[in-house]
Amino acid sequence: MSVPPSHIFLLAALLFAIGAAGFFLRRNVIVVLMCIELMLNAANLTFLAASRMHTLAHGARPDLQGPIFAIFVIVIAAVEAAVGLALVIALYRNKQTVSLDDVADLKD
Amino acid sequence: MQPLLIDLSIAALALLVFVADLLMPSEEKRGLGHLASAGLVLILLLTFVLDMQGDAFGGAYVLDPLALWFKRVFLLAGALAALIALDPAEQAFARRQGEYYLLLLLSLLGMSILSSARELLLIVVSFELMSLPLYVLTAFTKSSKLSGEGALKFYLVGATSLAITLFGLSLVFGATGTTMLPEIAANAGAIRSPLLVLGVLTTLAGLAFKIGAVPFHMWVPDTYEGAATPFVGFLAVAPKAAGFALLVRLYLVAFAPLSVRFQPALLALCVLTLVVGNVLALTQTNIKRLLAYSGIAQIGYMMVGLLAQTGEGVGMLLFYLAAYLFTNVGAFAVVCAVGAASGSDDIRAYRGLSRRNPALALAMLVFLLSLGGIPFVAGFWAKMGIFIAAWHAGLHWLVLLGAGLAVVGVYYYLRIARSLYLDDPEEGAQPITIGAPLRLALIVCGTAVVLIGIWPRPWFDTALDAAKSFLH
Repeated sequence: MSVPPSHIFLLAALLFAIGAAGFFLRRNVIVVLMCIELMLNAANLTFLAASRMHTLAHGARPDLQGPIFAIFVIVIAAVEAAVGLALVIALYRNKQTVSLDDVADLKD
Repeated sequence: MQPLLIDLSIAALALLVFVADLLMPSEEKRGLGHLASAGLVLILLLTFVLDMQGDAFGGAYVLDPLALWFKRVFLLAGALAALIALDPAEQAFARRQGEYYLLLLLSLLGMSILSSARELLLIVVSFELMSLPLYVLTAFTKSSKLSGEGALKFYLVGATSLAITLFGLSLVFGATGTTMLPEIAANAGAIRSPLLVLGVLTTLAGLAFKIGAVPFHMWVPDTYEGAATPFVGFLAVAPKAAGFALLVRLYLVAFAPLSVRFQPALLALCVLTLVVGNVLALTQTNIKRLLAYSGIAQIGYMMVGLLAQTGEGVGMLLFYLAAYLFTNVGAFAVVCAVGAASGSDDIRAYRGLSRRNPALALAMLVFLLSLGGIPFVAGFWAKMGIFIAAWHAGLHWLVLLGAGLAVVGVYYYLRIARSLYLDDPEEGAQPITIGAPLRLALIVCGTAVVLIGIWPRPWFDTALDAAKSFLH
């Protein structure tokens, strides 16, 4: 029994929505970073589902563009998380907090 | 000649700076800034001497006149940014100067590749190569609380924008089955999948974050205020230009068959950006925030050129970017000098600048006139060209709206220009002296702004040729 690509698309959309909602609602920077990862992985899942859909449609050869894209995105996400956590550490050293509510010195 | 030569040279220069940074004793690291700046100027000259046009990697990478124009803008912005940073870098972080220039060059490499990319994976990777060093550079003055906060806001928005863009691109890939932009352009018209429309619109939202279009603009003023001034001039120009390079390649070529679907969204973004940018700039009292909102408004004018969806519109967009480069880098260079002398970025610090340093005040006046679009400086022709192109494309009411808001813009720019000359300096204000590198950058920017203003013809012609070779 195989899962049809459309279900995977729906799951990815759901993950993306959870990530986006968390990005706007949560105030802890670490959790916000996790939400961004969730959105990136939703994109990965969509790439894989799309590849699977193309493979099922044409059949001759597996479509590898999606998986390759996903591997690159995983690397990018790791690099981005490294920079993000470095910024959070710099923030914590200056202000002893990781809550976005306390990061509001800059405003109109 | 190899089409990759420009990008390879930038990469080689970055490696050279990296190795030199390791070998140099820390008191001589100022030389790295000279090396980066001179190297970029050399590569810029190379683009005029050699004919390198062509494509590589099966068409995934292309060096056409459009990419060449953008690369020249990036190289010039990078060279000026390195020059302006020379003195402040030595005072603020003498031991880490090498890292600063290395990151600047790597970001520049990302932008340069992005302007040539015609394949989704290459676009995403170069986009990140551009963005990641920018986050680090924004946070570079580690001890400053504002710098850390500005960087965090920039990072969170940038990372989300990447995630949204990627999700959109994954949907586009799902609908079209290819990652090559020319193939997407060829297939897009025949595909009736809702995935494609959804993907195109999601990607637009992600990119709107990146160029700072309203309602995705909140990070721009905070980041500009928090980041070190010598770097803001670069941040205000180069990544925005890169965003437009991507918008042109995606929305005017690859997704062009779908223009009926995304045109309304782009139009709404453009109108909001024009109105909000100009109106919010009116009440600012910090010069960096004022220039940030003015920058948002300028993004709106450039989007008008994009909306025209003609070769003329893109040509005027390219011309606008060149004028915007000299004007904004110059204006931020003045902010840098005044900020270093008076320790404040408040507009009050500009009162009576003409009596503290007449040359600096004259330079600021030229840049403000150009930002305001007063005749016979670069900014006038830039706005004029955009409006004429949009008028020819039938966007009459948008041109009238833009012209009306340009008048609002003149008010807040000239308010500062007036206080440069007519107000008395604050009590105890000393004359301002500026170092040789900053003076050179100001002379280059000021001369270019005036020259383009007096004799815009060759710039117009080159920009139109670059656009028309690409869009018919």
